Amino acid sequence: MKRISTDMPNNDMQYYMRRKEALLSRMQGKIAGQSRIQNLRDDPVAAAHSVVLKSNISRLRQFSDNTGEIQSRGRVVEGYIQESLSIMHRLNEIAVQGANGTYKKEETAMMGDEVNQLLNELVQISNSRHGDGTSLFSGDRSLSLAFRPVEGYVEGSGRKLITNVEYTGTINPGMGEISDNSYVESGFPGNTLFWAEQQIVISSRNSDNFFVRNDSSVLIDGVKVDFKSGDNIHAVIAKINDSGAPVKASLDPVKSSLTLSTTEPHQIWIEDAEGGTVFQETGLVKAANTRPPHNIAPDARISGGSLFDMAIKLRDSLYTGNVIDIGSSSLKGIQDGLNHLVSQAGKLGARDERLELVKGRLAYQIPEITAMDSRETDIDLAEAITELKMLEFTHKASLQTAARILKPTLLDFLR
Amino acid sequence: MQSTFTGIEIGKRSLVAHTKSLTTIGHNITNASTDGYSRQRVRMETFEPLYAPHLNRENTPGQIGQGVDATSVERIKDEILEGRIVSQANQQGYWEGRDKYLLMLEKIYNEPGEFSVRSAMDKFWEGWQELSINPSERAARQSVLERGKTLIDAIHNRYESLKQTRDMVETEVTGAVSRVNSILSDVSALNEKIVKIKAMGDNPNDLLDRRDLLVQELSSIINITVDNRDADEFQIHTAGIHLIQGRVINYLSTEIDPLNEGYSKVTWKGTGGEAFFKGGKLASFIEMRDSDIRDEIQKIDLMTVNFIDNVNDLHKQGWGANGRTGVEFFREYPFVLSAEGNYDRNGDGEFDSSYIFRITGGNTLSPQELIGIRGTMTLSGADENVAVDYFPTDTVQDVLDRINNSPAKINAVLDRDGKLVMRAMTSDIIGTPDFVIKHVEDSGQFLTGYASILAAGGPDGAYVWETADAVASLQSGERAAGFAVAPLSHPGGWVEINKAIISDPLTIAAGFGENGRPANPGDGSAALAIAELRNKHLMVGKFSSFDQYFSSTVADIGLKGEQSETALETQNLVMKELDDLRQSISGVNLDEELAQMIKFQHGYSAAARFISQMNDMLDTIINRLKV
Repeated sequence: MKRISTDMPNNDMQYYMRRKEALLSRMQGKIAGQSRIQNLRDDPVAAAHSVVLKSNISRLRQFSDNTGEIQSRGRVVEGYIQESLSIMHRLNEIAVQGANGTYKKEETAMMGDEVNQLLNELVQISNSRHGDGTSLFSGDRSLSLAFRPVEGYVEGSGRKLITNVEYTGTINPGMGEISDNSYVESGFPGNTLFWAEQQIVISSRNSDNFFVRNDSSVLIDGVKVDFKSGDNIHAVIAKINDSGAPVKASLDPVKSSLTLSTTEPHQIWIEDAEGGTVFQETGLVKAANTRPPHNIAPDARISGGSLFDMAIKLRDSLYTGNVIDIGSSSLKGIQDGLNHLVSQAGKLGARDERLELVKGRLAYQIPEITAMDSRETDIDLAEAITELKMLEFTHKASLQTAARILKPTLLDFLR
Repeated sequence: MQSTFTGIEIGKRSLVAHTKSLTTIGHNITNASTDGYSRQRVRMETFEPLYAPHLNRENTPGQIGQGVDATSVERIKDEILEGRIVSQANQQGYWEGRDKYLLMLEKIYNEPGEFSVRSAMDKFWEGWQELSINPSERAARQSVLERGKTLIDAIHNRYESLKQTRDMVETEVTGAVSRVNSILSDVSALNEKIVKIKAMGDNPNDLLDRRDLLVQELSSIINITVDNRDADEFQIHTAGIHLIQGRVINYLSTEIDPLNEGYSKVTWKGTGGEAFFKGGKLASFIEMRDSDIRDEIQKIDLMTVNFIDNVNDLHKQGWGANGRTGVEFFREYPFVLSAEGNYDRNGDGEFDSSYIFRITGGNTLSPQELIGIRGTMTLSGADENVAVDYFPTDTVQDVLDRINNSPAKINAVLDRDGKLVMRAMTSDIIGTPDFVIKHVEDSGQFLTGYASILAAGGPDGAYVWETADAVASLQSGERAAGFAVAPLSHPGGWVEINKAIISDPLTIAAGFGENGRPANPGDGSAALAIAELRNKHLMVGKFSSFDQYFSSTVADIGLKGEQSETALETQNLVMKELDDLRQSISGVNLDEELAQMIKFQHGYSAAARFISQMNDMLDTIINRLKV
């Protein structure tokens, strides 16, 4: 600039001071707010990352909560399974002891009393509730009891005792999300946990000429199986077997009727989906609007029972002193139940292990992602303070220059 | 022959000229800090010497100088530089206006932080997660409700803040227009005076300075060019139109635009035509109001409408703990009460449009299925229809991706049951409604037989919104397509939780139930499905999920802010450079002025001394000669 007007130094000073002060105030704001991003423009991309990471952290925390809750529920259940196991062991001992044939009927009846007490305890366990008051083993009917004991006169005991234990829950275990799009069952429906034998349902209706009239579906253990109109009984059987439901369908060789048997011990849970009549027409279930498990057609044969059924059978054999039954079917039933319970305990342990792994991963992931978020948005204090110091220094320098703006003019030398 | 008193006359001329110069120095010094002032100089010239070449000239050697004359007072100004400043100032004005309001928009986001819409929504999803784990609890429902309320407050707050900012910009627009008009009338008044003064042969320096200052202010509001070629007619143009030509003014005015939600448009007062500007504050305000802020409002509306639609869709299928089902979680206000979405857009008493937001196909599709058919879909885009092809080797997901990645203003997803759902987005064109499906057409079978949305293919079977009962073109019968009427505009402003849920939180659904039966108390499937929405590929407009929506919108506004900050800083520097250059030429330098002052003072003294000398000479002649 060749010519400097009197206003120019002043204008310059104001311009640079304004900029310095703006920078200083921004830096101070960043340090005070502990964030590199005061306004989104400071680093838009980091801000966008941070937004996703923050959401992700809150989600992971929720997963961690979910995992903890499901795990604690599982551990409570494990306690009950252990207790049931020791009851089953005792029943097994009694069955073995009662079957040796040297006891009189009065003596086996006394054993029957003990079995009865153990049965009561088993029913008690199956109806236990979680700390929050919800039923542990009733599926999603969490406010009602899982099993309903029915009492009746039992030969040899002389009193009214439990003669049947009905499942009143559902098969829906409930799901919890433990990672993005990864779920784990959170409940333990009693009709699987407290089951002893494979269940088989055999219809008594000849289905040779059966075919599906309209597109319709059935529900087997909660799995939906779709049929197309025109499917004959063999197509129906094939579709059921391919569906992934834990049952196997077959045609009874004698009666040519539809037969369903479980592939792992549990209560068979079948119904026609809304509008469908396949199971009804093949003689497996009663008329529509009846709910499982009490909807099996009255003329269908059903076998395979729960732990309670096994205990009741053993007790009744002991009361009547039927040594042959004690040693054969009763003992086998108890042992089946024991095996199943052990496998259930194993399943529970495996689930707990999986949850433990998830929890461990989350415990590592949450701080890691928090650190990532912090790297995106948080301020590096050492750097910020150094920068602030630099700014302060340059600001001071420009102030000093400013002081010289009031430099002497010709006026000072004129008389 | 020269007069005896010539010397005194010459001295007097010098005294007058130096007094004038000194006065001008005084004017300069006192105006050193006046805005837009250019220093002035008195032009001094020698007076006409004797003798002019006439026949009656004295026959003596000439010419004899006759002293000094102050011929004119000039201002020191670089007119070309001035022109450059005028053409640059609109850039600075533009970025100044833009930067200020972009910063406000960034502040409205409240990100990254704990009090944003995003964090409120995170909490809301967490509420559903907790309900999915504890479906029978009243407390979990209460927490879903309260978090829902917080979320609604956050959405309302965002919407209201954006709306208020838009209203603020509106006042800026009308303010800028009236400022332009008042500058124009001031300039015109100055023009009149300037012409008169120039006609008298004087330089209206101070008036010119004032006019330049006004023109510079005008150039920061709108982009103008100045034409100085005709001395009698000072002209200002904008975009090829005369703003001012001497005394004739072309005023601007504002007019309420019913198509743009009652915001005003800028028009020419004379012709009534709309005025468009490319630079300056006014352009930035109009752009902010009708593009950036409108966009932001549309984004929050888009998010809200998709959020409501998705949550309600699932919630309506679930069962509350009190056994109620089919209840909306958020209240929906349809744009029209007609079930077919019929609306009388031009107000002539007959339905002429269909306002439909969502169409759901009647068939169940699976994303991995090969479609095996060929054709072209025609869907409404930003301003014209967009063609989307599909081929026999595509899977359903491929086709959906192609729709979603196309510029079509419609997105497509499969819902929980595998049915094709098409949803409308916001509209780019001011005056056409948001969230209305405008055009759906298919030359092949995909939308007709396969997804069961349209009843017939080809142009004749197209769904077109600009007809009443447009839904008649949708598939009916056994596999009928479903549809939902468009929501009232600006859902971000009115969204609220259904009263039935506020009055009884047990109405909040946790389970879907099984096989058409009400959900059991421990069934958390619906709550889980709603909680899953958070990270699901469900298309919020062109954003694939809520997560992506939030991060993209944050990056978008942040990048805009970053750009405007840099641009403003650059423009400020450019303007400072130009201003410095002008100051360097026209600014007053006190040292210079004082030096000049001394010079003129000495000149004055010398002239006085000369007169005194002349006086002595006359004294000699008159008094000493003692005639």
